[in-house]
Amino acid sequence: MRCCDVERLWDEMREGVEPQREHVLAHLRGCPECQEIYRENEGIAYCLTCLPPVEPPLRMVGKILDHIKVAVKIVAPDSITTVDSPIGRLYVAFRHSGITAVALDRGEGDEAVLAKLQRRLGRGLIPSQAPQWVADTVARFFRTHQGDLEKVDISELTPFEQSALKAAAEIPPGEVRSYRWIAEKLGQPSAARAVGRAMARNPVPLLYPCHRVVDSSGALHQYAYGVDVKARILELEGYHPVRR
Amino acid sequence: MSALAAPFIGDHYRVTAPATVSHSVPSHPVPGPENFESIVDDYQRRLYGFALRMTGNREDAEEIVQDAFVRAYRALAKMDPQQRAELRLQPWLYTITLNVTRNRLRSKRPTNVALDSLADPDALLNETQEGPDQPEQIVDRAADMVLVEQALLQLPMHLRAAATLRFIEGRSHPEIAEILNQPIGTVKSHVHRAVRILRRILGPQVGRIAPSDRPASTEEEE
Repeated sequence: MRCCDVERLWDEMREGVEPQREHVLAHLRGCPECQEIYRENEGIAYCLTCLPPVEPPLRMVGKILDHIKVAVKIVAPDSITTVDSPIGRLYVAFRHSGITAVALDRGEGDEAVLAKLQRRLGRGLIPSQAPQWVADTVARFFRTHQGDLEKVDISELTPFEQSALKAAAEIPPGEVRSYRWIAEKLGQPSAARAVGRAMARNPVPLLYPCHRVVDSSGALHQYAYGVDVKARILELEGYHPVRR
Repeated sequence: MSALAAPFIGDHYRVTAPATVSHSVPSHPVPGPENFESIVDDYQRRLYGFALRMTGNREDAEEIVQDAFVRAYRALAKMDPQQRAELRLQPWLYTITLNVTRNRLRSKRPTNVALDSLADPDALLNETQEGPDQPEQIVDRAADMVLVEQALLQLPMHLRAAATLRFIEGRSHPEIAEILNQPIGTVKSHVHRAVRILRRILGPQVGRIAPSDRPASTEEEE
């Protein structure tokens, strides 16, 4: 057996399974050079095993999971702008497919409103100028009390939420209907509470007129911006709710 | 004959795997996006260690591991149930980590020798606290570990991967072949070449770093 072969077999010899083991051992007994190489190789292997274990940075797991969430659902941010209206300043989020969210400025400040909307939409918002079509859509609503639903995008809502909002959009301006009315219209008469939740989660109030949906007793029940705002919008549309 | 010569004279010439490395494969149900968090928990440490040895840079290692897990998640999400059931998770995760490392190092500068040591002096201190070492010996030891780390980083990447998996992680040739997607013969040849180069780089210092009365591979000799 040649020295170069013996040297090559060093690592296999450590595994203890080398079939030529006896030949290697015989060579080693008579070859100080190969003994020296084996000794040095053992030293190298030992040095490498001595390297201290490394600890990953704290919170790396959390970072990895956040990274996955972001990377897996890469969604382009919407734009957001403000538009003045008869009931106050409105924040309007939009993308090329339409208006995705509307929020009434209640004086909480831009940051707070943006943070809330971003959570609701599950994506970022970039402040920008109002394009003409956004301003026109809002203006048209307050002029005609009809939302131009072609310009509104609710495609990311659940099918039930979408149906409930579309049913609400059929209520004529100046009139109201009950949650149960919508539930029946959807063919699910016992789903009045679910309709209530869908109205409460409506990201595009006004344009999808959840303000026209009330208790079966006619009470205004609830509204994201308060019952007073709900009453004010209905009054603008020509409906005079019974004040209780 | 010195103590070092003993291993290859007896019948029990075996490597002792480093005590700090555990290869036990955590038992997962079939891997998938739904249990991915526990997969990250179980593998982040060893993949980070591997990436760190490959790059010599903590920031790079962290980003590599993040990227590798994102790729793994995406790939798992696309697999059908049978593919997931047949997946050998551990070597697969290593392979992904290695690919990310390769891409990253390729697009970066040629590998620099790390200027700051990866060997954490505190860890060394803890490790040696109970031994007879004096503080100055601990400092020497940390300096020696820097030498070893730097020598490893001077290897070409494919040899570094083979040496890291073989000696630092204590993996078998077939395991390394699976991770590197290479024939076993190629793995053996790479390990051999890596050791040759390291011998040339570390040369005379090996005797000092690995003293003749060291434990490790002679331990099993009866």
